[in-house]
Amino acid sequence: MVNDAGQLYTMEGVAAGLIMLLTAYIVVSTTSVYTAGDTHIPDMQLEQLGSDVLAMMDTPDAAGGESRLVEFVNENKGPEFKNAFLNYCNATTSGTLDNLHMSANVTYRDDDAIKEHQFVEPDETWTGRESAVRVTRWVQLDYQSSRTHYDKTRAQAVLVEVLLWRV
Amino acid sequence: MARMNEDGQWIVLMGLLVALGLFFLALIINQSALVGQTTAEGVLEFPKNDIRDLREAVFDYVDAYEKHDSDPSKIRNDIVAISLERKNAVVYFENETPRDVSGRMLHPVTIHYNNGVTDYDETTYY
Repeated sequence: MVNDAGQLYTMEGVAAGLIMLLTAYIVVSTTSVYTAGDTHIPDMQLEQLGSDVLAMMDTPDAAGGESRLVEFVNENKGPEFKNAFLNYCNATTSGTLDNLHMSANVTYRDDDAIKEHQFVEPDETWTGRESAVRVTRWVQLDYQSSRTHYDKTRAQAVLVEVLLWRV
Repeated sequence: MARMNEDGQWIVLMGLLVALGLFFLALIINQSALVGQTTAEGVLEFPKNDIRDLREAVFDYVDAYEKHDSDPSKIRNDIVAISLERKNAVVYFENETPRDVSGRMLHPVTIHYNNGVTDYDETTYY
């Protein structure tokens, strides 16, 4: 390199190389679709909210007592469960209430079969395309002959699953 | 371009460098969206609530084990079978007879959880 001649040739070469690289990059990146990072954060918060509400409902008022969640499941009080759950979920510190909707089912074991019982039916806002989150809670039921669902003859653990979505 | 008018080559060269710099800055901003996405997905996929829920269920099971005359091993079968069916998680736990821990009688409890991605093992005293 003894003089300044040919700089524009170099630049044109670099520019042409860049155009080719950019084309290859665009072609390769069209195969994947990225969503923005904060899309999933509301889901995350919704899941935590639902878990916390279930944990709260599963806590008895006094030590050794029976929690409301156990009572609802034992006596198959679906509508009452729905009201209490949505009451807690939709509460806000000020202003209008949140607009959350839910459905729930209870999974239990009957000998070797795992069965599901629809506990709370989804309301009219359910279309199947909601970005719903699923929250679950284990509930242990004591032996109780007055129980209408699940296995009456023994104490058992059942899984309450709640689908929660915002409209 | 070349050979037609070769004045101001330094200006054009510096312009090219600045353009390149802007290109790489744009690339970095583009990647930052991805970082947020993988973080949120990682939090969603990590079964924190599942594991916490399982632990509480196990402690309830230990309570029932102490309190009831009914066979609590059926409750364990419930939890193992339903976990596999509804949560795709292999779960097992067992408790031993209480032993003295700092003056209190506590059950040693071992809990195992594996959903294929996250593996969790714990020995605790309850």
